Amino acid sequence: MPSGALLFQSVLLGILLGGLYALLASGLTLYFGIMRVVMIAHSAFLILAAYLAWWLHERAGLDPLLTMLGTVPLFFAAGVGLQRLLLTRLRPATLTMMSVLLTFAIALLIEGLLGYAFTGTQRRIQLGYGSASIEVLGARVAVVKLIAFGLAVVALGTLYVLMKRTRFGWALRATIQHRDAARLLGIDTDRVAGFGFGIGLATAAVGGTALSLDTTIYPSLHWHWIGPLMAIIVVGGLGSVPGAAIAALVLGMAQSLLQIPMGTTWAQTVFYVALFATLAIRPQGFFGGRLAQRF
Amino acid sequence: MSKTLKTLAAAMILTLGACSSGGDGGDTASNSDEPIVIGVSLPLTGDFSEPGKGVQQGYEAWAKVVNDSGGLLGRQIELKILDDQSNADRVVADYEQLIGKEQVDLVFGPFSTRLVVPSARVAEEYGMLFVEPAGAAKEVFEQGFKNLFYAAPAVANDHYNHLAEYILAMPADQRPKTAAYAAMDDPFAQGTAYGLKEKLEAGGVRTVVNEVYPPNTTDFSGIAAKVADSKADVLVGGSQYQDGVNLIVALQQLGYQPKLAAFSTAPTNPEFAKAVGNKTEGILSPTGYSQDAQYPSNKEFVEKFTAQFGKAPEEDQANGYTTGQVVAAAVTAVGCAEQGDCQKKLVDWVRTNTVETVVGPLSWDETGKPKGAHMIQQWVGGDIKIVLPTDVKEAEFVFPKPAW
Repeated sequence: MPSGALLFQSVLLGILLGGLYALLASGLTLYFGIMRVVMIAHSAFLILAAYLAWWLHERAGLDPLLTMLGTVPLFFAAGVGLQRLLLTRLRPATLTMMSVLLTFAIALLIEGLLGYAFTGTQRRIQLGYGSASIEVLGARVAVVKLIAFGLAVVALGTLYVLMKRTRFGWALRATIQHRDAARLLGIDTDRVAGFGFGIGLATAAVGGTALSLDTTIYPSLHWHWIGPLMAIIVVGGLGSVPGAAIAALVLGMAQSLLQIPMGTTWAQTVFYVALFATLAIRPQGFFGGRLAQRF
Repeated sequence: MSKTLKTLAAAMILTLGACSSGGDGGDTASNSDEPIVIGVSLPLTGDFSEPGKGVQQGYEAWAKVVNDSGGLLGRQIELKILDDQSNADRVVADYEQLIGKEQVDLVFGPFSTRLVVPSARVAEEYGMLFVEPAGAAKEVFEQGFKNLFYAAPAVANDHYNHLAEYILAMPADQRPKTAAYAAMDDPFAQGTAYGLKEKLEAGGVRTVVNEVYPPNTTDFSGIAAKVADSKADVLVGGSQYQDGVNLIVALQQLGYQPKLAAFSTAPTNPEFAKAVGNKTEGILSPTGYSQDAQYPSNKEFVEKFTAQFGKAPEEDQANGYTTGQVVAAAVTAVGCAEQGDCQKKLVDWVRTNTVETVVGPLSWDETGKPKGAHMIQQWVGGDIKIVLPTDVKEAEFVFPKPAW
């Protein structure tokens, strides 16, 4: 029987991990919500952002958090460009399937370029506060994990306000809910979709930076992430950002707690079990309602 | 180009040799002027090309040192190295060709268990002595080979033997009581940790955590939480480089302070100290080779190797060089080096003798498994130093480990 202290520590770790998962998965669910695009390259962009943070830290001594000033707008622009130049060219009838192939190719391209530029060596950002932690009721919370969680809260909060309180957010949600109706109302849905995609990729810049604070990175690491992230957005309900956030927290916590009795290898399978159960019992997801009807 | 040069050089040496011995006018052995040809197949391309090239450098350094000092039995050494592309079928064909067709006098082993096992079978068939630089896995010694010898101090399970002895020899009131083990799911990394685990358990040190993680694990906070919660006195990581670093950082984040912490591989990496924020004091690691080890031939090896290749030798290079030393010792003692009956004599000699090498004195059991253990290094004063065994130590063993 695990001790109370270990359980409490694991719950804290689970919440922190879940927050990170929520941040990493939010972009993925946006793309699908807006235009039924399955973006396999999302996690490759996460790793790209992490590499940029690492590289700027190595070269210029920049704090990884500062690198976001550059990477967030850059990724936003890349997202808009990607949507306008490549994804709009796919035929609507086969969009979902073809987007898998297209973004798979993009993921391979990013992985290849990262390997070419930085070699396959594993990298880790050396921060002065990398091993610092604060005590919470006898348990320990690592400062870097707390920062990553803070980033997740800020990014997801911003996303929520953007979607619920701004004209652009309404237009984006209208586009998500019914593209033709939105167009009849005078919304430039192509433009809105482009921006939506850009925002999705901008979350990857934030997520990648959060990831780089406390993780070792290497070019092929994104394959390790895409599975759990896909599982999260399916369990949460495709297209629902709050659904993805709840699913991420639940699954992060489950992984952390299952680790105690089952060990690392088996705890990771919780994502696939959850994915399988969702597809079998409630294909529309547990927390999101009907496909993309709600934000 | 360099091959042509080598052949040319060999030819010149031959001619010179012929002249001089001709001058003496009375050498009885018919082939005494010809070089001793040693056949090797190495993975110079493919999966194992990095360590493969390292072993090649070790072999070449050894051949140069021997040739510069007058050769073996007065004959020059010529290495015939083929590239097996890290392929187990190729390696078999290579040794068939070297032994059967080209009639080399001796053979050296290739790199990695995967290639050592099939090639050892060929050598066994032809009755050749087979000393190899890279077969640390248990399987190698379970095949019933009679001619195989692993030219390194210890197989994975024995890496920590000196440390186990040291811990169990401590006075009862100081001896650690509990231990936590975290090992990568990999035969080598796990083998090192479990070798120590068996010995400590037998000596009464209780196992409180025993975790295995897949090679692609990047989040170690869960494992660290379990280890920290157990408050184990001893922490043993069966790790490669990056997972060792990740685990240490995760443990530091949780404020866990073991009295003794040992990790395979990671702490000897040049980038280790920076990667764990320079909080290295007292961390232990087993190592099969140290450039600073005070074994008689090691100083010469490091000097000559550095002069030849422009950098100091690492473990792969040392293992290649050691292979050469073992074979040379046998050839010198027995007084022959050719196929046939001579090989049997060489095998018998290696089986029953101890050879001084750059990794220390080596001797073998009947399966060809070395009887030694690895040296134990410890981070002391910002540098990694040998602390065990005591006869080659560079610094005192620090216990308990300072906080990280």
